Amino acid sequence: MIDNSSIVIETKNLTKRFQNVVANDCVSIDFHRGEIHSLLGENGAGKTTLAECLFGFYQPDSGEIYHKGKRVTLSSPRDAIKLGIGMVHQHFVLIRPFSVLENIAMSSLKKSVLLDLTATEQKMGFLCEQYGITLDLHAKVWQLSVGEQQWVEILKAVYYGVDLLILDEPTASLTPQEANQLFSVLGQMKKQGLSVIFITHKLKEVMDISDRVSVLRKGKLIDTVMTSEVTKEDLARKMVGRDVVFQIKKDRSTIGEPILKATNLRTQNDRGLDALRGASFTLHKSEILGIAGIAGNGQRELFEVLTGIRRLKGGEIQFNGKSIINNSPEEIKNLGIAHIPDDRISEGLIMDFSVADNLILGRQRDKDYRKGPFLDRKKIIDSAADLIRIFNIVSPSPLNRTRFLSGGNLQKVILARELNRDPKCLVANQPTRGLDVGVIEYIHGRLLELRKLGVGILLISEDLDELFSLSDRIAVVYRGEIVETFNTPDASLEEVGLCMAGTGGVSI
Amino acid sequence: MKLKIGFKVEKRKNVSPAAQIMSLMIALLLSALATGLLMVIGKANVAEGFIAIYKGAFGTWKASIESLVKATPLILTGLATVIAFRARIWNIGQEGQLYIGAITAYWAYTQFTDLPPAALLTTTILFALIGGAVCGFMPAFIKAKFAVDEIITTIMLNYIVIYFLSWLLSGPWKDPSHYYQQSPTILEKAQFPILMVHTRLHLGFILAIVAALILYLLISKTPLGYEIQAMGFNPTASRFQGINVVKTMLIVMMISGAVSGLAGAGELFGVILRLKSNISLGYGYTGIIIAMLAGLEPLAVIPVAILFGGLINGSFLLQTTTNIPSALVYVIQAIVLLFFLGARAASVYRLRITKSD
Amino acid sequence: MIENLLQAAIIVNILGSMVRIATPLLFAAMGELVSERSGVMNMGLEGTMLTAAFIGFMVAKNTGSLLLAICMASLAGGMVCLILALMTITLGVDQIITGLALNLLASGGTLFWFRLSYSQTSLENTPLIEFLKPVDIPPLSDIPYLGKVLFSHNLLTYLAFLVVPVIWFFLYKTFYGLQVRSLGENPKAADMTGMSVIKNRYIAVVIGGLMAGLGGAFVSVGSVERFFPDMTAGKGWLAIVIVIAGNWKPGRIFLATLIFAFLDAFQLQVQSIGVQFPYQILLALPYIVAIIALISGRTRSDAPESLGVSYHRE
Repeated sequence: MIDNSSIVIETKNLTKRFQNVVANDCVSIDFHRGEIHSLLGENGAGKTTLAECLFGFYQPDSGEIYHKGKRVTLSSPRDAIKLGIGMVHQHFVLIRPFSVLENIAMSSLKKSVLLDLTATEQKMGFLCEQYGITLDLHAKVWQLSVGEQQWVEILKAVYYGVDLLILDEPTASLTPQEANQLFSVLGQMKKQGLSVIFITHKLKEVMDISDRVSVLRKGKLIDTVMTSEVTKEDLARKMVGRDVVFQIKKDRSTIGEPILKATNLRTQNDRGLDALRGASFTLHKSEILGIAGIAGNGQRELFEVLTGIRRLKGGEIQFNGKSIINNSPEEIKNLGIAHIPDDRISEGLIMDFSVADNLILGRQRDKDYRKGPFLDRKKIIDSAADLIRIFNIVSPSPLNRTRFLSGGNLQKVILARELNRDPKCLVANQPTRGLDVGVIEYIHGRLLELRKLGVGILLISEDLDELFSLSDRIAVVYRGEIVETFNTPDASLEEVGLCMAGTGGVSI
Repeated sequence: MKLKIGFKVEKRKNVSPAAQIMSLMIALLLSALATGLLMVIGKANVAEGFIAIYKGAFGTWKASIESLVKATPLILTGLATVIAFRARIWNIGQEGQLYIGAITAYWAYTQFTDLPPAALLTTTILFALIGGAVCGFMPAFIKAKFAVDEIITTIMLNYIVIYFLSWLLSGPWKDPSHYYQQSPTILEKAQFPILMVHTRLHLGFILAIVAALILYLLISKTPLGYEIQAMGFNPTASRFQGINVVKTMLIVMMISGAVSGLAGAGELFGVILRLKSNISLGYGYTGIIIAMLAGLEPLAVIPVAILFGGLINGSFLLQTTTNIPSALVYVIQAIVLLFFLGARAASVYRLRITKSD
Repeated sequence: MIENLLQAAIIVNILGSMVRIATPLLFAAMGELVSERSGVMNMGLEGTMLTAAFIGFMVAKNTGSLLLAICMASLAGGMVCLILALMTITLGVDQIITGLALNLLASGGTLFWFRLSYSQTSLENTPLIEFLKPVDIPPLSDIPYLGKVLFSHNLLTYLAFLVVPVIWFFLYKTFYGLQVRSLGENPKAADMTGMSVIKNRYIAVVIGGLMAGLGGAFVSVGSVERFFPDMTAGKGWLAIVIVIAGNWKPGRIFLATLIFAFLDAFQLQVQSIGVQFPYQILLALPYIVAIIALISGRTRSDAPESLGVSYHRE
């Protein structure tokens, strides 16, 4: 039951700008004691910004924040922490070389001269017991798994006594099972009177655990409703502003012959630890093979090995029958394997180049774009203009600096560049992460088109819904191996989730 | 409801070329003020001081040409810095690369003294380029193989090269007829031709201008230049998208070293005409300043280097006229750079007036 | 018998020199450690030390007080680093270029000021000062051999060696030390705890400058009677190398400093004995060793993760 008379924190007409972008536009929401309140919205809707304002990391440009009835100004997270507000960020703010205890001790408001971790250890041990969490308190953070790091973040917030906990996309890197454990702990905390602001873009979670939900779209508050009084479709419509197609209609096309065959791939990650421990799969023409898995199980290294960025320490990769192990990225691209990297800004584009220059990135030495020893600027610009038109990239001119484009358009530039090479194979790593629904639909559409044209696509994604709607088969990677490959029509979310966690599934 | 008007400092996303030039102007203005202040502290007449600097730099035709002579090595070390910094390679070893260029050129001169002048000239220049290139290659190789940053290795090499030269000049290449550590005078046939009679303007100046043009074309119009710029902006994406970052780095450092080596040959065969331990008066480091002020643009290096050449020239007249040490020019150089960096950084911010209640 | 003595005397000489030579390097390296642990790399360390050496000399020459000279030198070091902090932390200018610019300013500025002050003096009348003399510690310095090596140095040397455990304790056993270290690893995390990243980085950098200033003071006022241009001769750069070679840990840094100092002391001894050897190689030795040290120490770097990266909230 929600206690309507006790509002823990509320905002009135809160506005926050970043240069020309209005991230929060006159938002007024109240959060009650003992409730789990979801903030729902697409990427860029303003959920995180609002949360950071409540946490004192950002200062609103106008509007007020009231804490338990009193007007407050939070000029730094310290002020928020003093009021009992804690926040767990989407990208953890932990100090990786420090131990768990040192990370917790860092946040202490009491400034002692000497560093004494024994009291911290005792209290942490007690908290872990209370919530049923197992954690090696002396381990360095970089040694912990992503799920364990998340618990450190949560306990860090809870340790100093909070009555309002803000969680930003907490299940992004958790297995379905770990997410459930989180929800049960939150339920426990709620019973003790804790209020939770739960930021997410996943409708299922909102329906499952929240009492009320506020929907944000493009910085504005659309509505605040009781979860029990709405449907998933209602929320989706509020979130996007129009009816959303939940399932892309996919033709059942026949899978062609094998095009990319990986056998027993072995390699290490940047820290020298084994990342791929004998992964094997076969990708066919006219197929989308999805790679599912929790972040950190070798997907990144798999992507880097297939695109030539990381050296393979063992195993074999065959493209159309020819071995391509340890080919350079340039050679692999020239053979016909294109790729879309995980991080478009740091891995896929040169932001200070013009759009035209980014569209030939990787092909600057091609005879097509050269006139003698010099670059043929006219050809480059004309070719860019064509691509901009075909792919509907929003950019005033090909000579525009790429850093002024929006996220969706950046991804389109990468897509245009890669598809312009007429690839036979495409390796895509999180191609729709952080993008608007409109762009996601567009990219999904192009991927399915490519599939029809005979291209083999390896789709690495943390979005299970995306994998289920696009892939013909789903391979689950766990601790550097492909533990199970499902035929999508025959697979269930639970089965795949269990595989991702390393439990269950039929052995190959 | 009270209306509160406040100020907010916002950060722009990048610096426009207009802002860069404005920053340079502001930097020069502030530096002039600081210079005046230093003159006052030095008990000199400020007006007299500035006039002396101007006269010494560009006051007469002869002075202007001499300023060009002083600018010659600066153009080259400036260019060497530009190409390296564009690729985000922090080559601070221009000084050492300059000296190695002079050393290898001198060695070639001693080995091939009997060649006809044109051939000898070409040979010495060639060896200067090769020597500088090898000297630039070493830190790049160390970085490629051992992941050791080039800043420290290039600086360490500067010191090592100086001691190497000292050994050469006190041993195998010492001029027996002199007490000081220096080589015998270079024969006239090997000296760089003088471009204008009764001046010291030598072939090196032409080579410097040509080098600037070549680097300009290279960086902005060729695929290699594209790759250099890509590397400088985003090495990760460059690597991911097929650019061989290691190979490009090695090439860039060789070019950079070669250009500095050419500066060494120019000073040796064009001006000083003997190998000495102080052929360079910090030209390598001044080149870094010039490159930064030129916004890392090869063609812009030329006017900035000429300005600095003029300053150096003017500082001598300053000393004889007002007793202010000519070392003032080094202070001015550093101050200009600091103000320029500060002004450029500050131009990224803008003031926004906010209204709140 | 005499030969044994001679051998021992030489070794004692070398080790004693090693301790002395290590002094400015220890000050500078420890100061740089604090600065780099907070995330700021001081490429202008050479210029900082040179400025301090010059100021120390000038104050000693004009006031006769060595204590005042040392204090002012330290302050001068702090001031130079304050400028570095202003440009890199507040204005966000690249740390490397700022450091280089400060080196050039120090080099030119000290030369200019020196020439300005003593332009009338001829070679015979170069300005001289009384520099810091060694102080024996009575019971300890009488120990045969060891006494001469360890306990017959001047106050700055004793201080330099004391600084090592003090900095170690500060960084690893105090709460503030933990906070400073967090600035260099993950400034956003530190910001989240309410700590002012900017203010505390300033403090760390200035502490580094004050200590580098002491190092510079030793180079001039603590060792010789005159000032000459660029007298720090790359010690600042060596200190930076030492921090890297010591993998950002106080104990390792101490060891690395002693090794460099030993090599330098060794080559000085060889020079004075007059071995038939090109002395230039010996002079170049520290720089060659520095490169070798960097190459061999690359296996696992514990550099602070946010070293060299400016921090902005938005």
